[in-house]
Amino acid sequence: MEKIVVIGTIFIMVSILWSAVNWRFFNPNQAGHSHRYKFRHNHGEGVSIDYYAYASKIKHWNPTFKVSFSMMTLVLCIALDNPYVSMFVIAAMAYITIVKGKLPLREYLRVLAIPITFILLSIVAIIFDFSKVPTGLYDLPIGFGYIFTSNAMLKTGLYLMLKVFAAISALQMMTLSTPSSEIISVLRKAHVPKLVIELMNMIYRYIFILLEVSTKMKNAADSRLGNCDFRTSCSTFGNIGANLLVISMKKANAYYDAMESRCYDGDFIFYEEVKAVDKKLIIKAGVFMVTLIIIWHYTHL
Amino acid sequence: MKKTILKVENLHYAYWNGKVALEDVSVDIHEGEKIAVMGSNGSGKSTFFLNMNGVFTPEHGKITYRDTLVTKKTLKELRKNIGIVFQDADNQIVTSTVRAEVGFGPMNLKLPIEEVHERVEEALTYMNITDFKDRPPHYLSGGEKKRVSIASILSMKPEIIIFDEPTAALDPLNAKMLEEVLAKLGSEGKTMLLSTHDVDLAYRWAERVLVFNAGKIIADGTPLEIFKDQPILKQANLKKPMLLELYEMLVQNELLEDTAVYPKTTEAFKAVVENNVILLSNLA
Repeated sequence: MEKIVVIGTIFIMVSILWSAVNWRFFNPNQAGHSHRYKFRHNHGEGVSIDYYAYASKIKHWNPTFKVSFSMMTLVLCIALDNPYVSMFVIAAMAYITIVKGKLPLREYLRVLAIPITFILLSIVAIIFDFSKVPTGLYDLPIGFGYIFTSNAMLKTGLYLMLKVFAAISALQMMTLSTPSSEIISVLRKAHVPKLVIELMNMIYRYIFILLEVSTKMKNAADSRLGNCDFRTSCSTFGNIGANLLVISMKKANAYYDAMESRCYDGDFIFYEEVKAVDKKLIIKAGVFMVTLIIIWHYTHL
Repeated sequence: MKKTILKVENLHYAYWNGKVALEDVSVDIHEGEKIAVMGSNGSGKSTFFLNMNGVFTPEHGKITYRDTLVTKKTLKELRKNIGIVFQDADNQIVTSTVRAEVGFGPMNLKLPIEEVHERVEEALTYMNITDFKDRPPHYLSGGEKKRVSIASILSMKPEIIIFDEPTAALDPLNAKMLEEVLAKLGSEGKTMLLSTHDVDLAYRWAERVLVFNAGKIIADGTPLEIFKDQPILKQANLKKPMLLELYEMLVQNELLEDTAVYPKTTEAFKAVVENNVILLSNLA
């Protein structure tokens, strides 16, 4: 068992390094952006995740099924609290997203790299502790005290990481295959308050308009040396912010006019396509859940 | 005599800051008319459209739709039957998929879901955008967005369709597509209003031209009447359509017999010139 723990810890260390490197190389904001894909935006991860959802080959699956499947997997991951179950979930979700959804492996890792970075940073805080006297199994003197850890702590850290990672990949499976509008419609069916749903819909639509406007303004500022030095960029940033507010107000008015002219009377009623539920998929999902419980049954202590 | 659909009388509208946008505007719109609304920026065209649709409430003046005076109660009927395709499609598209956008109007009309479905499919097919019905609007090009915004009006099946500067910001191909749609709708007898700065488009498409200047209608007549009226053109800062100018030039220099045919398209112009070939060769 100790060997597993030590190997696991080494794996964590390697992944920390890897994801640090990864972050630098893959993050489009820092490394510029490539044009390998048709729709490539250079303003943030959120946009590309949104695009992957539309490009996904399992987009036609019933959204309610996808959302509930991923939620149940998430709940099972946490409830069963078992590293083998977690590993199985990680593998299965990667399989669904990459093989079924046809998302390139590289893109999948790129999307996962963001939460991984945060997980790893928090795991470091969990597996290491600080003490004045050497108390743990492994101690690292740093002058005025010791940073220490033990096999038990490493084990907790590793298991926790696997669990969080599994939960996240279950959620990623959902976000990478279900367009936001469909997720919102599922929430609506789940009786989330109407106001929240309307807001979510409008915010989702609006984010892209704001991004577009701000990108245009930024380009316009750039072309007139608006970002030539620190002082200028500060004032440009402020001006763009102020302008965005004014434009938002104007756009909100224009929007309202356009909605009113089409008989909008205070209630946002949505028209959406009904996607048939595939019975085979439900059976497969059921088998998957049972498998998780069987794995848990044979491996839990 | 064609039946009057909409009767606008003495419409007066001022913005919150007191700036008068419309002053004493009166106009009758008849069934099946194709009206071009012209005038410089800020002359009140868009405000007029929004008043016609009941989005803006006029200070005084009345709008009568099919013999019923428009009041708060009958406002919905007016909005249902008059659709506006806004100038900037981005300001019109409110939902996060094309399908939902086209279904927005019908859903607000509280139609049964089967009917909504039918109308959406019909409008999507009409505008030839069935391929990207599931796409969100931010992954569409300008021309595609325009088509979506037109489809979202068509699905409401309005009696009058208003196009607010539809050709602005469209490339030649999409502008051609738009004119084809206009022609198709025209052949189905739809009543249409279209605001534009393109005199050539107005000349060849419209049956009637309204000219706005500083919140007033300064001229109302057939394209020929309007575009031959030099003082009006000057006042509204409009220029003469190229084909009309050419025709007049040829007639003036006695290269063409004045048959008062006034060709409106290049094809028709060519036919006129060819018919007068004898006259031309006589000169030689």
